[in-house]
Amino acid sequence: MNESTDREPVMPWWAGGIAIGLILTVATGLVQPIGVSTQYVAFDGVWLHAVAPNLAAASPYLAQAAEGRTLATYEFFFVLGIPLGAFCAALATNRFSLRIVPREWSARFGPSPVKRLAGAFFGGFILLFGARFGGGCTSGHMISGVSQLAISSFLFSAALFISAIATARWLYPDRGESR
Amino acid sequence: MKLLLGLVLGAVFGAVLQLSGASSHTKITNALRLKNLDIIKLILMAIGVGMLGVHLLDLLGLANMKVKELYVLGILLAGAIFGAGFAVSGYCPGTALAAAAEGKPDAWVTIAGGLVGAMTFAFLFPELEEHLLAVGRYGTVTLHGELGIAGIWLAAPLGALCIWLARRLPGGAGMP
Repeated sequence: MNESTDREPVMPWWAGGIAIGLILTVATGLVQPIGVSTQYVAFDGVWLHAVAPNLAAASPYLAQAAEGRTLATYEFFFVLGIPLGAFCAALATNRFSLRIVPREWSARFGPSPVKRLAGAFFGGFILLFGARFGGGCTSGHMISGVSQLAISSFLFSAALFISAIATARWLYPDRGESR
Repeated sequence: MKLLLGLVLGAVFGAVLQLSGASSHTKITNALRLKNLDIIKLILMAIGVGMLGVHLLDLLGLANMKVKELYVLGILLAGAIFGAGFAVSGYCPGTALAAAAEGKPDAWVTIAGGLVGAMTFAFLFPELEEHLLAVGRYGTVTLHGELGIAGIWLAAPLGALCIWLARRLPGGAGMP
């Protein structure tokens, strides 16, 4: 009855959580804590420096993010590994699927792919704007940062959850569902 | 060698995100709607284990810490903006990459939006730095650093608290 990805996950929440905690520990011991969102700007910076160097040079932030003008870095390869691992895992467990409109979105906003893709683009825009503004994302701030007891990460995570829960409950109100 | 290490660690991370349902729009959305807390339990568990692991390493002098700067007003605004984006897209910057690799076109578009959003921030940075990032700026401060104690003294009880809370919150299959 459900699309393939709505099946119960292969790993229960606790196994996934323990695994991510251990990955963070190993990464912190060998190189540095995990992080993803910085690499979005690194990619932007390297790409813009290649196609429009004058424009890129106008942003000191971008110039710094693309230091060395190369994506052959540990940090970028870590981020590159994420889709690689997820792709293999999805294939191995037969969960690869090209669905455009997720179930919850469709139930609330209808099956229009254009509407969903516009929402996904806008959501992605403010997601990374916020991540760069705060200096990290779920990986860098919440998981790595709170684990290191960084005060900025506690604040970021608290604001994140309050806003995310409020937004989700506003976007997807409970309509006479079983209470 | 370091590139390969990055790729392998990233691939294990991506595989875990996929296998544990953390890259599923349905799972994330229902966690934020407080309908199914599995993803929140997963994050709490990851933080609990990570906190203990990282600070045990630190006790042995083996941790390469990287603490993010505190600028109170900017951090709170940024978290609020990020949270709204999290709810609207149903992905975060890392899980969007995992979901894209599972074939989801809406995750591809989230990544594209993210690249544009990150670029926009890069060009607004000088303005924002002058006005917003300067408010309540304290540098790379940590809880244990402020208290002047070794991290493990806080990480042990707080890590245990996160794990206890993760198990305590209602949700799917319990731990053995």
